[in-house]
Amino acid sequence: MSVLRIENVDKSYDDEPVLHDVSFEMDRQEVEVIVGPSGSGKSTLLRCVNRLTEIDDGAIYLDDEEIHSVDENELRRRVGMVFQDFSLFSHLTARRNITLGLRHVLGLSDERATAKADDYLERVGLADQAESYPAELSGGQQQRVGIARALAMDPELILFDEPTSALDPELIGEVLGVMKDLADGGMTMLCVTHEMGFARSAASTITFLDEGRIVERGPPEQLFENPEHDRTAAFLSDLTGLHQ
Amino acid sequence: MTTNSRGDAVGTPTGRSRQFVAGVGVLFWTWLLARWAYHNTLLDSVMTAVGLADLIRSDLGVSQREPWVPAEPFESTADSIGGLAADLGPAAVLAEWLAWPFELAALAVSAEPAFAAGAFVTIYLTVIPMALGLFIALPTAVARIYGGPISSRLSLAFTELIRGTPLLAQLFFFYFALPLAGVIDDIWLMDLSGAPRTAAVVAIVAFTINSAAYQAEYIRAALQSVDAGQLTAGRAVGLSRMQGIRYIVLPQGLRYAIPGWTNEFIYLLKYTSLAAFITVPELFRRAQNIGSDTFQYTDIYLIVALWYIALVLTTSLVMGKLEIRLAVPGVGRAGRE
Repeated sequence: MSVLRIENVDKSYDDEPVLHDVSFEMDRQEVEVIVGPSGSGKSTLLRCVNRLTEIDDGAIYLDDEEIHSVDENELRRRVGMVFQDFSLFSHLTARRNITLGLRHVLGLSDERATAKADDYLERVGLADQAESYPAELSGGQQQRVGIARALAMDPELILFDEPTSALDPELIGEVLGVMKDLADGGMTMLCVTHEMGFARSAASTITFLDEGRIVERGPPEQLFENPEHDRTAAFLSDLTGLHQ
Repeated sequence: MTTNSRGDAVGTPTGRSRQFVAGVGVLFWTWLLARWAYHNTLLDSVMTAVGLADLIRSDLGVSQREPWVPAEPFESTADSIGGLAADLGPAAVLAEWLAWPFELAALAVSAEPAFAAGAFVTIYLTVIPMALGLFIALPTAVARIYGGPISSRLSLAFTELIRGTPLLAQLFFFYFALPLAGVIDDIWLMDLSGAPRTAAVVAIVAFTINSAAYQAEYIRAALQSVDAGQLTAGRAVGLSRMQGIRYIVLPQGLRYAIPGWTNEFIYLLKYTSLAAFITVPELFRRAQNIGSDTFQYTDIYLIVALWYIALVLTTSLVMGKLEIRLAVPGVGRAGRE
């Protein structure tokens, strides 16, 4: 049974088409990496999955349930999201960033939420920063809190929207490390990222999106070694070259 | 009521000057609190019950109260300096100038019981409307930003109506045009001794509504300065819109609102003087009355101005402390430094 099934999704912003007839499916424990030039609709696609943006046409199924038949808050509880700019709640400590959703969405007691938050902070290596405010953390630490915040809600799927793009190069590794651990631990992940090293080692499938259409989709070896389209080859070699 | 400047009038004086300011402040407030306690009805009944009938004198009317510092030495000094004037010929002006501070001090000392009583009224005319106004301003600001077409327009109409008309006109409208005064008179509360008089209650109602409109604008601006991504992140966790506003936008926005809110506090503190026009015996009304008794209008208005400055400085000091206390790294004053 697929966790996520996207069928013929179309989306435009003010007559500007962003997604055309996008369809794919993800199974449990799969890591799907979406790559593509900026403006190709990658982030929009992620936001359609948790309904931060509404699709114009087509259908999206989470566990075979059409997402528009699910309450949007319930949907978002089941689908975590990690943002490019971290978007930690700036008035709350790292721990409180995590407990907010646990308490007010999952309805956990303060005590249980705190214990759970501390567990997840430990998993991302930030047990000692529980009392720090976002402004006191480095970008890499903030993003790890962001991941812990998404993870603590026990989601069926986590969306990563360019999680390392806003980070200084030396901080990217610690975030990718956490993501790799998650992937190895069997988390289902839909990631927009340009980190080709991560894509190669962790992705089950890579999707190349250009101008709102899926150009090519397949396992990493195939896309890196034997791409069907010249555009895919050119884009991937550009990215890989950039990061070597 | 334009609002350009922050209410942050008090900087951070250092060393000796800081100690001096703190000393004057402590002295002023100790004495003011003691004065209020000394004439407090409630405290009087408690003390009488425990057998200390004469400790608290709430039976004395304001005009019967004696100043705690005698005015006589100041008066006689002023008189003796003034007496020299006759012998000085052309330099008489100099003697009059020298005598003036002592006359002023004598007037200030003898007006003290009346001003202490007036300051009490001024303060509750400020604090109660600020607090009640906040309860109206919060939903008004939230409705304006996040409400549907009807609630946001209602909110806009309310703020523009109130901000578009003079406060004095609003006060007169509530006092003379609405049957509010009659209604308040009928309420049982007004029979209790020590309860504010009808006019004061009308003033509280008018100031509450006026202040709510201004507070709503300060809060609206502050809420809009919260990054939109914060609410999005909250929604992405599964919070409803209202939960997101309550747990994410308001805690951040209200911290940003404190400087503006302080400004409104200070404005209202001074604008409560308009209540004098509907006979509420607050600071300014007391000054007018003393002026018409003594004909020392210039001096008494100067003294009452000092009273307002003392109250305003206290407000900005307290609010500045509150702002620092509530700030978290990244949000609020401490975060900006």
